[in-house]
Amino acid sequence: MACNEIWAVARISDGQITQAGLQLVGAARELAREKGLDARAVLLGCDRATADDLAGVIDGVLWLNDERLNEYDAAVHAGALFGLMEVRGKPVAIFAGTNDMDSEVVPRLAAMCGAAFASSCVKIRWEGDDLAARRPVYGGKVYEELALLSRPAVVTVRPGAFDDAQKLAAPGSVEEISVEVPPSSGVTVAERVSSAQGGQDLSDARRVVAGGRGVCGESYQTVEALADALDGAIAASRALVDAGERPHEQQVGKSGKTISPELYIACGISGAIHHVLGMNTSKVVVAVNSDPDAPIFAAADLGMVGDAKEILPALAEAIKTLKN
Amino acid sequence: MSLKIAVLVKQVPDHEAIVQIGADGNLDIEDRYVCSFFDEIAVEAALDIRKANADAEILALSVGGKRSVESLRRAMAMGIDQVEQLGDDSMAFASGLAVANLIAARLKTFNPDLILAGKQAGDDDMGAVGPMVSGLMGIPLVNAATSMDVDVDGGKVRIAHSMNGETWTVESGFPVVVTAQKGLAEPHVPVVMRVMKAMRAKIANTSTEDLGASEIDSTGRLKRLGYYSPPTRPPVQMVDDVNELVGVLAQRGVV
Ligand SMILES: Cc1cc2nc3c(=O)[nH]c(=O)nc-3n(C[C@H](O)[C@H](O)[C@H](O)COP(=O)(O)OP(=O)(O)OC[C@H]3O[C@@H](n4cnc5c(N)ncnc54)[C@H](O)[C@@H]3O)c2cc1C
Ligand SMILES: Nc1ncnc2c1ncn2[C@@H]1O[C@H](COP(=O)(O)O)[C@@H](O)[C@H]1O
Repeated sequence: MACNEIWAVARISDGQITQAGLQLVGAARELAREKGLDARAVLLGCDRATADDLAGVIDGVLWLNDERLNEYDAAVHAGALFGLMEVRGKPVAIFAGTNDMDSEVVPRLAAMCGAAFASSCVKIRWEGDDLAARRPVYGGKVYEELALLSRPAVVTVRPGAFDDAQKLAAPGSVEEISVEVPPSSGVTVAERVSSAQGGQDLSDARRVVAGGRGVCGESYQTVEALADALDGAIAASRALVDAGERPHEQQVGKSGKTISPELYIACGISGAIHHVLGMNTSKVVVAVNSDPDAPIFAAADLGMVGDAKEILPALAEAIKTLKN
Repeated sequence: MSLKIAVLVKQVPDHEAIVQIGADGNLDIEDRYVCSFFDEIAVEAALDIRKANADAEILALSVGGKRSVESLRRAMAMGIDQVEQLGDDSMAFASGLAVANLIAARLKTFNPDLILAGKQAGDDDMGAVGPMVSGLMGIPLVNAATSMDVDVDGGKVRIAHSMNGETWTVESGFPVVVTAQKGLAEPHVPVVMRVMKAMRAKIANTSTEDLGASEIDSTGRLKRLGYYSPPTRPPVQMVDDVNELVGVLAQRGVV
């Protein structure tokens, strides 16, 4: 059984679809339109209000209204999406995010239905009747493009690859669907600690100020103050994480997070490829470094040479002035 | 009970190896291969468990051809005595789905309590095989673990990992698939004696046919269309003054 749809898995944070989720919806709409398919957002659990909200940006919401989906469990979420395919038919494609949940759920789901899977895609297009996905490999040294030759084609899409879905003139429909939900996999959550340390969640922040070895120790405060002035999140290079100064959750790069904010300000970061890979899809990149030859400038749109300890406080002041 | 652990390892280009697109459109990869970064962490994590549980049995597996043998030698040199190569050169560039299929077929008879893999491999950066093995075997999954505490008598494992902006500490019974993130363990450099010994060791191989998995298509329903250079940004615009900088940022609509 098959259905002529593209599904976007919507993740909700604080009762709202995440920005990355909005972009998935945008991707599903765009690619569905080109082939005359229907774009649908899949909502796992949550409530009617969230489903209605989601219907503002997509023609149809498939709402799996089941309380057992409210507690995250990778096997349960993958099983429920599998169950949705049983009742509705296999969609042409499933788009999900590169967030920590989908990174567990989606490849697991792909294996369950023997589907082609590609992660962390930066570009998706049609190649005939197949989807083709472009994605970084070898630590970002090159990109590959893969055609996905199965139904469904399962992909995770990097933030920033597509524009946020715009509101529709008339909201779409919400279909409440009951599917078979597998029992809990037995992974129980003993403790949850916010890793933002008072700041925002890095993964979904629109503005990020990141510090490296050039702002180690007390001077990292200048990073925090700038993030504050910008109403943004803080991040770090691996140098500061390895030194035990910043938590791993704040590390950007190959062995940390991949983020795509609208603004990324790299302070005292040399710009090693492993770091750049985690932020090079950001919209606007600013680099502040005392070394005019630092490789980070090659990955930046705007650069300032000088001591970050002096530049960052001045920048924070200038931004506050602009705001007032 | 004695714990059984399977560790999945893959040989990939060193992170500093030069990888370029050749004139024929294929990749030119500098001949410097290593056991993948996160896989060495997984190996060390298994060894850490055995320190506290001397009777733990560890099996390292690698799917692929000649090259995969080298990652198994590395695992051996680090201290794992049971290693096995699955498939042959035809699986050298197999997709995650095909690799996971072979591994799941092999693990049905090994019956591990814990399956450790890397968060993602240093070549395809796909992050597929660990979750796929969990899906094929129908067992729980915890991705990107940064710490792990095994309680063998209690029959459970406690794992910390990052989950959408939070750090979650979760508990699972056995069996479970855990993928390794940086922080889970600190891989040690093996001593020369053990490296030499591993170099001479005969590495067992199980063929795709023996696993009864010959119908597995190594492509995983993926077809590579081509390679591309990473996108480049326009040349950086240098500014001397914070007010000028803020002006440009405001113009671009990001402040
Ligand atoms: C497999 C692997 C994975 C990795 N993963 C990651 C990852 O996920 N994330 C990551 O970040 N790194 C990662 N790395 C490490 C990476 O290669 C670099 O070593 C690291 O990013 C360097 O951090 P840094 O730029 O803060 O420090 P450095 O390289 O020491 O650079 C410090 C910079 O600060 C500048 N500076 C010094 N003083 C000042 C000042 N007063 N004002 C302004 N500028 C100043 C210097 O000019 C220099 O450019 C990884 C490495 C490997 C091998
Ligand atoms: N050919 C392989 N043989 C053994 N293990 C593998 C192989 N490919 C991937 N893995 C394991 O799966 C992890 C994720 O790989 P990938 O899905 O390719 O990113 C790796 O870190 C390894 O632990």
